[in-house]
Amino acid sequence: MSSPKIGIYGFTGCAGDQLMILNCEDQLVDIFGAVEIRSFAMAKSDNHEGELDVAFVEGSISTEEQLQHLKKIRERSKVLVAIGTCACWGGPQAMKLEEGGYEERYKGVYGNAKIAVSKAFEAQPVDAFVKVEMKIPGCPIDKTEFLSSVSKVVAGRHPYLYKSPVCMECKWKENPCILLAGKFCAGPLTKGGCGAVCPSHNLPCVGCWGPTDDLNVSAEYKLLVEKGYNPEEVMQKIKKFGGAGVAKLMKDLKPTKKKGAKK
Amino acid sequence: MKTLEVVPLARVEGDGGITVTLDGKKVKSVTLDVHEGPRLIEQLVKGMTPEDDINVVPRICAICTLSHKYAAIRGLERALAIDPPEKAQLMRDLMMLGENVESNSLHTFLLALPDFLGYPSAIAMLNDYGDDVKRALRLKKFGNHVMEVTSGRIVHGENPGLGGFGKYPSKKQLSEIAIRSKELVPDAVRAVELFSSIEYPEHSEVETTFMSVNAPNKKFGLAGDSILISNGKETDADDYKKLTSERVVPHSFAKRSVYKDKSFAVGANARMINMGKRLEGQAADLFKENYSDRWLRNPLLNNLAQAIEMVWALESMPETTEKIAALDDPVRAEPTRISGSGTGAVEAPRGILYHHYDVRDGLIETADIITPTAQNLDDIEVHMKACAERLLAEGKKDEELLLPLEMIARAYDPCISCATHLVRLKRV
Repeated sequence: MSSPKIGIYGFTGCAGDQLMILNCEDQLVDIFGAVEIRSFAMAKSDNHEGELDVAFVEGSISTEEQLQHLKKIRERSKVLVAIGTCACWGGPQAMKLEEGGYEERYKGVYGNAKIAVSKAFEAQPVDAFVKVEMKIPGCPIDKTEFLSSVSKVVAGRHPYLYKSPVCMECKWKENPCILLAGKFCAGPLTKGGCGAVCPSHNLPCVGCWGPTDDLNVSAEYKLLVEKGYNPEEVMQKIKKFGGAGVAKLMKDLKPTKKKGAKK
Repeated sequence: MKTLEVVPLARVEGDGGITVTLDGKKVKSVTLDVHEGPRLIEQLVKGMTPEDDINVVPRICAICTLSHKYAAIRGLERALAIDPPEKAQLMRDLMMLGENVESNSLHTFLLALPDFLGYPSAIAMLNDYGDDVKRALRLKKFGNHVMEVTSGRIVHGENPGLGGFGKYPSKKQLSEIAIRSKELVPDAVRAVELFSSIEYPEHSEVETTFMSVNAPNKKFGLAGDSILISNGKETDADDYKKLTSERVVPHSFAKRSVYKDKSFAVGANARMINMGKRLEGQAADLFKENYSDRWLRNPLLNNLAQAIEMVWALESMPETTEKIAALDDPVRAEPTRISGSGTGAVEAPRGILYHHYDVRDGLIETADIITPTAQNLDDIEVHMKACAERLLAEGKKDEELLLPLEMIARAYDPCISCATHLVRLKRV
């Protein structure tokens, strides 16, 4: 059997997830040996753009050029895996997805100057444009979760991703609860897998892995508001990283007037 | 008219390319194009609390994450008149040393060296230079470890904050860093040997101006409240706009900087040129052995500067960790006002990073972030153009221009994610 063909690509983001792959110092030589890395521009020059078994895509999509490139990657890949919070949710650059005002912010940075590189637009996650088989969020991704996923994905299996919110890992570590101390912590709303790193440093979770898929985030949000947390502050905090995930939450929270609904 | 293109520019962080436009034997232009999508971070942090800002801005770049965190902290602490305790300041020094070792080892051994030795990647070097690749991975892993111990995570750690840290490392963790840093000095010295034994071509040489921070107490360092210029001048960091007048160009989502209408360079070579005489220990010896006025002209020597700097960073760790271990954990320093302005200037591995903030009633009113790569872009183009012209005059074929041009761009260790907000060759 020939080695699985892999491509690793980066779009709008900080390149932190690709860097985390390079940060697997103890496994790097083995990874490059076990799979055929056809394309990884951040790490090597001899890149070949052809058929792939698995494409790992980091970053959100925020220009027309990127969108066309993404579509081509999708066409020639059997499996496409979104890695990192930006690819999965849009990341910090997607924090105002629900609010609009992109043109104004763009002008605020570039003024009226014409940039011919490519048309830019509000950043969105990869699955807003193409089919994504798997999402491995994280800001950045966790080494262990990535390595265990790679070995499963290249063997044609679905990886087991950490499902619980940050609070679960935080309890295992026996950290004192920051929420109970009256300070907002994004732990209950956020996907775990980081090892509850911030609460373990006496700091509130900042929500950087995006919304957890383990629970009903909108119910949890309402619970926090009932407990007396300022809804605006909570939303501001979780929007920083939640992008499209929080945009969906905001839609879910909007009162809908359904016919026949109880008053 | 002919256009030569290098897209994507490989072995750099982020999405860029180089475009060279040729007209006969004339080089019309050489541009470093930034394709990386814009994120408009400065606009997005408007209205945020300073605490939220320092969560978001490090995400501009994974490699320079702690530099962004620290520049934001310094800018906001100046804005809000926060006086951080000594232990926090030492921890910040230590985290910057870790980031410096991590980034310089990645760039010298793994991203730049393959060009000089004729390989497409460090992985391809494994058979012939296996020990050096392993040295690089050891150094990088250790740099990451220091970042993890100080900041809480290898990338995007949240432990450093305004006025202090969430948690301070144990004495055991600190002494382990001291011991390991001493063990790894020979690996960094090997990087200096490798990069000092290379014959650097002259084709890209153009005299330029270099800027770096002025580290306090006449020491070599990675943060300071004023900026040193290689022409002997010094400017307060708050006057950064006089040094970096920014503009937008059509071929790039990265803004550009010039000083007195001319390009300038920032990075390890700039730090060595401006502060190299302050080095101590083996780093000082290596600097004296290797430094010459060629450093003022040849950007490829930045690789050698990064290698010497790695020796300095490792040699500085034991003293820093000892000082940290001797101090009790302090309480966090609090803001003494809710409105104000301030600029933070730190040395990211690839050069000066500025974060300027105006804060009003506890919320960010404006943020201005000027990254080292944005400052270097004009200088990269100046040196690439000189190189292309000289190589064509020597009778080189068009395609033979590409690798030398890529090597110049790579020598600056560009960080394109940071700069947002790379070779195409055109013949007319």
